[in-house]
Amino acid sequence: MPETVLTVDELTVHNHFTDVPAVTGVSFAVGPGQVIGIVGESGSGKTITCRALLGLLPELFEITAGSIRLLGRDTALLTEKEWTALRGSSISAVFQDPASYLNPSIPVGRQLEEVLRIKTGLPRKAARARALDLLTAVHIRDAEYVYQQFPHELSGGMLQRILIAIAIAPEPAILIADEATTALDVTVQAEIIDLLADLTRRLGLALIVVSHDLAVVAQLCQRIIVLRGGTVVEQGTVEQVLFSPQHEYTRLLIDEHHRFGLDRFLTASDRAEARA
Amino acid sequence: MLPRLIRLPAFWVASGILLLILFLGVFGHALAPLDPLKGSPAVLASPSAAHPFGTDYLGRDVLSRVLAGAPVSVLGAVEVAGIALVCGTVPGLLSVYLGRAFEWLTLRIIDTLIALPFLVFAVAMTALLGNGISQAMLSVGLLLAPVFYRVSRAAALQVSSSQYVEAATLAGASAAWVLRRHILPKVLAPLGIAAAGAAGTGLVIVASLTFLGIGVQPPAPTWGGLLASDLGYLDYQPYAPAFPIALIVLTVVALNLLADVLRDASGQSGQVLLKKRALRKAAKKKRRVLAITRAVQEG
Amino acid sequence: MSAEAEILPIPHVARAASAGSSVALLRLRRVAIAVARPVGVFVPVFLFATFITFLLGAVTGLSPAYVQLGDAATPAAVARLNHQWGLDQPFFVRYWSWFSALLHGDLGKSWSNGVSVSELIGQRMTISLSAAGLALIIGIVLGALLGILAALTASSLLDRLITSFVSFISVLPPFVVGIALVAVLAVGLHWLPSAGYVPISAGFGPWLSHILMPALALSLETVAAIARQLRAGLVGAYQQNYVLGARVRGLGPRRIFFVHVLRNGAGPSLALLGLHFPNLLGGAVVTETIFALSGFGVFASQSALRGDVPAVQGILVVSIVLVVGFNLLVNILLNRIAPAAARGI
Repeated sequence: MPETVLTVDELTVHNHFTDVPAVTGVSFAVGPGQVIGIVGESGSGKTITCRALLGLLPELFEITAGSIRLLGRDTALLTEKEWTALRGSSISAVFQDPASYLNPSIPVGRQLEEVLRIKTGLPRKAARARALDLLTAVHIRDAEYVYQQFPHELSGGMLQRILIAIAIAPEPAILIADEATTALDVTVQAEIIDLLADLTRRLGLALIVVSHDLAVVAQLCQRIIVLRGGTVVEQGTVEQVLFSPQHEYTRLLIDEHHRFGLDRFLTASDRAEARA
Repeated sequence: MLPRLIRLPAFWVASGILLLILFLGVFGHALAPLDPLKGSPAVLASPSAAHPFGTDYLGRDVLSRVLAGAPVSVLGAVEVAGIALVCGTVPGLLSVYLGRAFEWLTLRIIDTLIALPFLVFAVAMTALLGNGISQAMLSVGLLLAPVFYRVSRAAALQVSSSQYVEAATLAGASAAWVLRRHILPKVLAPLGIAAAGAAGTGLVIVASLTFLGIGVQPPAPTWGGLLASDLGYLDYQPYAPAFPIALIVLTVVALNLLADVLRDASGQSGQVLLKKRALRKAAKKKRRVLAITRAVQEG
Repeated sequence: MSAEAEILPIPHVARAASAGSSVALLRLRRVAIAVARPVGVFVPVFLFATFITFLLGAVTGLSPAYVQLGDAATPAAVARLNHQWGLDQPFFVRYWSWFSALLHGDLGKSWSNGVSVSELIGQRMTISLSAAGLALIIGIVLGALLGILAALTASSLLDRLITSFVSFISVLPPFVVGIALVAVLAVGLHWLPSAGYVPISAGFGPWLSHILMPALALSLETVAAIARQLRAGLVGAYQQNYVLGARVRGLGPRRIFFVHVLRNGAGPSLALLGLHFPNLLGGAVVTETIFALSGFGVFASQSALRGDVPAVQGILVVSIVLVVGFNLLVNILLNRIAPAAARGI
């Protein structure tokens, strides 16, 4: 296994619509089993960074400098066909608002089965069996019943679990969770966070957690990057960034999150306990 | 919206053509150079200086007949659009204020109206209500009302549920004031577009009805009637249908152009589109360069 | 890797013993809704429309006397014939007998010749339906092709050309196209016969050569509407998040198009087809006159000119049934293929 799964070096993305850089000089690396968090407000460039990592920048956005190496390959050199092969099987993602990322006219189980068939080449029956297993593995009861339900018939928490199942089905090396818990209830949030933590432990999955919520990031991540206006204002281990924030902006963010009980996570022993 | 509208050349083209047609519609009779009903021995003659569109099977001047036939079609179209507008918009706006039962009833009526084919209904109406163009136009206008109903209702709903209207109502504004000040501006563009469409449909239906001999008695000239007689003599004058057809198509094209222009003026700007296109071209070029670079590296 | 399921502790897997039957129940419920809802709309529309049809017929001053005797109809003759045809009975008595007969397929008798209206219309239906059917096929196939091409090459030169072409043909009414086709293809080039109908039993070639121009003239409006709507629907579908989701999963563009985008993007077009069907019937009235086809449309205009009320009413009823029936089929199909579109998403 390579030393790092993903290396980002001085990534710069330009927004041609507003003619302003969306992301400037972002650098980080993630290895197998590692969890890195990207924190910032809306518009700080978190989502654009993720889309750049997936090779799915929206129209009018362009990578103007820097490089991204995924499993040792420079993604700038990839053709669309190579990208299609890589996505899902090497890198995958889940986003906010899970319902909108599923085809509303196809039962959810079939969409999971589709990924299994196409990306891992399983025959239909085996794919269906594996899909049911995966649904159970993401803590969905009545997997058979849920299998043929439509997205609009399921709750946000269920749908996000299903999307996670779909994302990990082809066994990617790295998963991006872009505001994956933001649209969910607090209790459901906790379950999803646990699920993600489990998966990184068991599967050696590298994980990028993007959130504006410091509590979520603090729970899951080992390292944090703080983005503001498209640039990295602070970077380091979770303890470094949250205990001794160097940048004023980071301090501001942490102060704002006091209300949400972040204090718990600011003492070393509590942190160790929470993550055990 | 109006400033943007004025800047679009298509708007002037469409309006110009439509004003011309409208002019013909009103003054067509007076503009005909020769008596449209007067026959002559020069039967089925080709276009010439004396008869720019030629003559028909009774030696009558076709140009004069086309001009004299304009009012029936054009005014019929206007009538259809007008009736549809009134019959659709009023219930549409009211449905937002008059509650569920009214809404349900009107929606059922709408469903029924949509189910009836225009021409069959128009033909049936002339049988049942009397053989006149006005009756036919009335019925077609009713059939076209659903579009106006939907458009005006959608605009009214959107506005009435917005917060600034809620605030205004709390401050004492009456429904009429809300209607005039907020709903009307929002609804003008879509209504204009629908009216253009309805006028086009109306024109075609009038032409179809007169073609079938319904509504206006010969020998009064109508565009549809002209086409009907042209059909009989196609072997001798295969180009004859072109004149009435050209006018009909021209009018409908102009109406559609106007509708498109109204749509564009109330929509998104074209700047974004241009930028997207430029970037796509650049990306394509970049990919080509990279492919070559890679080929060179490997080779 | 199903070892995964064993490694991860699964808290409360209460895999219901009745999982199988509840799935079946869900499926049944879905089918019931998919069919019942369109039918539920159809019935009131049918009832209301037929009532209006009868009402309009009853309030006209027309009488079989005018049809049969023309200007020679004296008031005495009118009264006599009205009585003979049962037209002096109370309104609701007449409505009820008309409506119950209708439900049995009996549309009354024509005032011109006393022949059953159902029979008269029935004879002509094959002709009209051949033309309308072929027009529908042409409309769907050609419209879909153009719409898909335009959507896949959005904003390119091809897209612009297709859009302009479609805009152009959308304004051409069937009877204009019909006349133009006759003038050019039949009289000018002598490629196709200019009039008449040949049943398919006499051979596919002759049938096609006679029915092609009328069908083509009827179909153009549908081609334009489908092409436009499909293009818009597909372009809109491509902008949805689930397409991004599919791309993130590493699904290829072909699969995304055929399995995901087409299904949802085509929904509105399918619905449009149902709305457009009345236009096909309406257009038939004129195209049949142009091409001398003795079909339903010609019967309509002739009956109208004669003032034959039962015939006109029968025609309206048949139109209503055709349109509503077709819409019903389309809605059921829509529910099956693209339930999201049917729900109005």
